[in-house]
Amino acid sequence: MPLSVDERWDLIDKISKQTVTFGAYKHTLKDAIAELTVKPLTGIPVAIAVIYGFWSFFCDFAGTLFTDGFMVRLFDEHWLPWLQSVFPGGLGNPLYALMVDAGHIENGVLVASDTCFESFGVLTSGLFVPFGVVLWAVVAFYLMFAILEDVGYLPRLAVLVDTVLHKIGLHGYAIVPTFLSLGCNVPGVTAVRPLETRKQRFLMITLLAVFIPCGAQIGIMQDLVPELMGWIFLTLAIGYLGFGFILNKIVPGKSPEIIMDVPPYQMPMWRNIASKLWIRTSRFLLVAVPFVLLGCLIVGLMYLTGAMDWLAAVFGPLLMGWFGVPEETVAPLIAGFLRKDLAVGMIGGLMEQGIMTTFQVFTSVVLLCIYFPCLATFVMMLKEENWKEFLGSIASLVAMVFVYGGLIHLVGIMLGVA
Amino acid sequence: MKILLMGHPNVGKSVFFNRLTGAKVFESNYPGTTVDFMKGWMRIGGEDVELIDVPGTFSLEPKDKAEEVSVEMLEENQDSVVVCVLDASKVERGLYLALEIIEKGYPVIIALNMWDVAEDKNISIDAVKLERILGVPVVPTTAVSGEGFKELVSRVKDATPVKIELIVRSMGGGESAAVS
Repeated sequence: MPLSVDERWDLIDKISKQTVTFGAYKHTLKDAIAELTVKPLTGIPVAIAVIYGFWSFFCDFAGTLFTDGFMVRLFDEHWLPWLQSVFPGGLGNPLYALMVDAGHIENGVLVASDTCFESFGVLTSGLFVPFGVVLWAVVAFYLMFAILEDVGYLPRLAVLVDTVLHKIGLHGYAIVPTFLSLGCNVPGVTAVRPLETRKQRFLMITLLAVFIPCGAQIGIMQDLVPELMGWIFLTLAIGYLGFGFILNKIVPGKSPEIIMDVPPYQMPMWRNIASKLWIRTSRFLLVAVPFVLLGCLIVGLMYLTGAMDWLAAVFGPLLMGWFGVPEETVAPLIAGFLRKDLAVGMIGGLMEQGIMTTFQVFTSVVLLCIYFPCLATFVMMLKEENWKEFLGSIASLVAMVFVYGGLIHLVGIMLGVA
Repeated sequence: MKILLMGHPNVGKSVFFNRLTGAKVFESNYPGTTVDFMKGWMRIGGEDVELIDVPGTFSLEPKDKAEEVSVEMLEENQDSVVVCVLDASKVERGLYLALEIIEKGYPVIIALNMWDVAEDKNISIDAVKLERILGVPVVPTTAVSGEGFKELVSRVKDATPVKIELIVRSMGGGESAAVS
């Protein structure tokens, strides 16, 4: 015979009276720290410091130390020239172009590439992007993230941003999937499950898929255009909040308050952090590397067969007219269906060939972020949403890309930089 | 036989799982991490037993998608022993879930986890008395440091289904309550 809710609480009350005694409450150091990080006056500076520390570590450890310090030199000064000298065929040969270096036209002459961003072969860019750049970014991100998770900082951050996120129909908890998505959108999409209503989950998944760049992508962007990162993040944040606000108004349903549990701070268990780091990094290597190689191959083949030129001609007017980016951007946009990091790397190649202005680089990097989630995220969205919601997400995605992409172009024209 | 690990979010269930199976799992200090449940094997008395880490839930009346999964998993595994992990510094909240599971007729063993936090807060719990009242094994544990795990494992076999009426009666409820 099951008890009613009241009977059960009544029973618990009696039991605890006999078994639990509460001594005088001591205000511990833990409590003091917990309060300092939640109260806005001290909590906001702490949050800024934490995020700044996170970002500095990400840039210095992954970008400066590993990528620039070791990997760029290894790949550009040794690996690429060595392959260029030993791989059979040479410039202009189709297999050589696919595997090592497609080269590019300069003053009407086909010339060899100087960097692994430009060369775009399976063995050059295909290995440089995941192992030279992204791997270190992913390790740095997940190390910091695992520490923040295990210490218990994230729920505090959620409490702090609760008010702001309520304006866009979300709860402070939404900061967790958002933060997680900055590493990879796939677990980010899974982490929306604790949100209570379908509306909240729909809003969150759509916003994540559109406006949150993943760690791989950020790693490459940081390496290619460090001076533009501030603008890129600002643009994405405005889009996230702005479109969240609009979607919240037009999507039917409720956004109830969630009562969230804020656990006490605790010392992280190093074994736990190490195992998390290992699982997440190895998952990245297993999933990402084959896709990057495949992406290189597909894009290479499309160039060789002329399919890319055809697509560039077809979509060129739209890209140029509406978004203000050159028709060559079509290639990274195609690669972006598979892997965003690879796609941003291709923009780097275009940039080094001098095809794009700074503003166009900025626009195309933002476009790459928002135009479509990568294949893996796409599959995850299919799993988490029902058909109606999924179609809704895709429709909002298309609308947002056109509106926001056009808007960015418009602002560029008004500022005289586009 | 299977063993289900159940409890509120953030009571250290995943650390439990980690310690009991030695497997690689995620344990994160924010709600909703274990949405995809984890499975592993643990040894009890020379026998390998399957252990399932059920997503954290506050009660058996689900409030969100993750909690729905937990309730379904409990119902799918009728032949299991449930290790109910409680936050010792918030016993009442945890007992609610534990009682609900007991009412459904599952053999339950209760782990009073975060015993260290309860001590910090000057809360003391008479585990022996609690065990006598409920009729199920009650073991204090501190998952992060591993205290109490040996006892927990050795006592899984003592878990038997308990009639809730007996607990109510032992607390002077039921008929006697009606008299008073």
